[in-house]
Amino acid sequence: MIKASKVSHFYGKEQVLFDVDLQIDRGDFVFLSGDSGSGKSTLLSCLSTLLRPSSGDIFLEETKITEIQNIDLFRQQKIGFVFQFHYLINYLSVYENIALAAVKGKKEKINALLQELGILDLASRYPNEISGGQRQRVAVARALINDPLVIFADEPTGSLDSTNSKLVYTLLAKAKEQGTTVVVASHDEHVKEYATRMIKMSDGKIQ
Amino acid sequence: MAIFLISSVSQGVIGMYSKMIKTDGDIIITQKGIADTFFSNVDIGLLEKIDTMPHVKSSYAMIVGASPVGHLPIAGIYGVSENHLSHYKLFEGKYPKKGQVLLGKTISKQLRGRTVKIGNKRFRIAGAYESDIGFEEGGVVMNISDAGKMFSRSASFILVSSDSPSNTDALVEKIMRLNDDIGVKTTQSFVQEYNQFKIIENSSLVISSLAFIMGLMGIASVMSMIVNSRKEEFGIMRALGKSRMFIIKNLFFETLIMSFSAYLFALVLSFLILSLLPHIDTLQGYVSGSLSLNVCLYVLASTVFMALLGSLIPAWIAAKTDPVLLINQGCS
Repeated sequence: MIKASKVSHFYGKEQVLFDVDLQIDRGDFVFLSGDSGSGKSTLLSCLSTLLRPSSGDIFLEETKITEIQNIDLFRQQKIGFVFQFHYLINYLSVYENIALAAVKGKKEKINALLQELGILDLASRYPNEISGGQRQRVAVARALINDPLVIFADEPTGSLDSTNSKLVYTLLAKAKEQGTTVVVASHDEHVKEYATRMIKMSDGKIQ
Repeated sequence: MAIFLISSVSQGVIGMYSKMIKTDGDIIITQKGIADTFFSNVDIGLLEKIDTMPHVKSSYAMIVGASPVGHLPIAGIYGVSENHLSHYKLFEGKYPKKGQVLLGKTISKQLRGRTVKIGNKRFRIAGAYESDIGFEEGGVVMNISDAGKMFSRSASFILVSSDSPSNTDALVEKIMRLNDDIGVKTTQSFVQEYNQFKIIENSSLVISSLAFIMGLMGIASVMSMIVNSRKEEFGIMRALGKSRMFIIKNLFFETLIMSFSAYLFALVLSFLILSLLPHIDTLQGYVSGSLSLNVCLYVLASTVFMALLGSLIPAWIAAKTDPVLLINQGCS
């Protein structure tokens, strides 16, 4: 489903990824671990189409990402993101934040999704009116709204307490149960409890 | 707002002077080759010959000058032939004889006493008049013979009314043959070609252009600050798959709303300022202006253009925001 072939990346003259080969199957829950500076965030950025690697190829659903005509639309339709910080837009309500990410025909299911995640009562509130845990649940809802093929999560619980961390992983695991591939880059060892596969990175290489 | 006021005031000045010339004449006779009526000197004796011409309804001569009046550093002086004095609507006193003057309503509020010193000579105040032309209300009217002595000329110009508009052009030709030193034009074409109006219009255009450039730089810098402070938001949009065009369109739309609000605010404020101008005595009614539909549309078009142009580069920078920054910010 996701294939990386000899992916390398440089930031200026500094190489951060070294010929990474990787294959992730549909429905996997991948725990991408590694120390700070190991290259896991850069790999996540490359796999999620946000960053074009300096060399090597990445395939999503058998399609080379450099050959995708409309990468923005592809990203909107097929990929969901959850970041360490919720990254909700403060002047938009919870409902509007999710609607911003929704493709045509998906807006109708926002309320149902919010209901499913237990945050329907927050729909009309603004990000600064809800707690950190609730914000991250909204961020998960935003990632799920288009029924993506894959969700990339970068330290999704980095700013949450253990209760809310558990809740976020449960939501991601639930998405995995419904057929969505989940890739989580994190330092949090609790991800192991939910992961079906572990990839450890060190010095820009997969160990 | 600067464009509103500059355009309105310059149009107001041109409008006032045009109206003054066009109201009581179809044809204007000035000294040939003179750029400004202030420097024109026409032989008043031409009036007798013109009056005997067929299709001439009326004619009068006028001297236009400026001089210190009382404590005021400068005011318009209008020396008019006796047959034209009735043009000025008296609201106090009577029409002036030699050695006497009429004061415009605005200037009369600032002068006290029965006499007034104009230049080096003292005149008795015969009365006061009102007019819907600010230049006239802020000026002083006297007999043309007195004005002639003051400004050392016979007449600045002669205005002629024809009995029918269809006879105007033929009359222009006939009058032109009276004297080689005169320039004869219909008041319509005079107003269109008058150098002073062109200077005012060009100056207004230059100042408006500078105001436009300053507005443009203002919008560009405000938008740059906005874009910089919202970089994270644009990164989120890019990560969510929103296209660069979506971000550019959004920013254009926001700038348009902001600029249109500023336009409405400036419109109201300019309207208030322009309404106040005629009531400021120190301006003597010389500075006035009204918001014509043309000026409003011109400023609206400038505002829209300014908004689009000013937000172009900031919007482009916003659209190029790299969503990876969201991951890098969270990267530990």
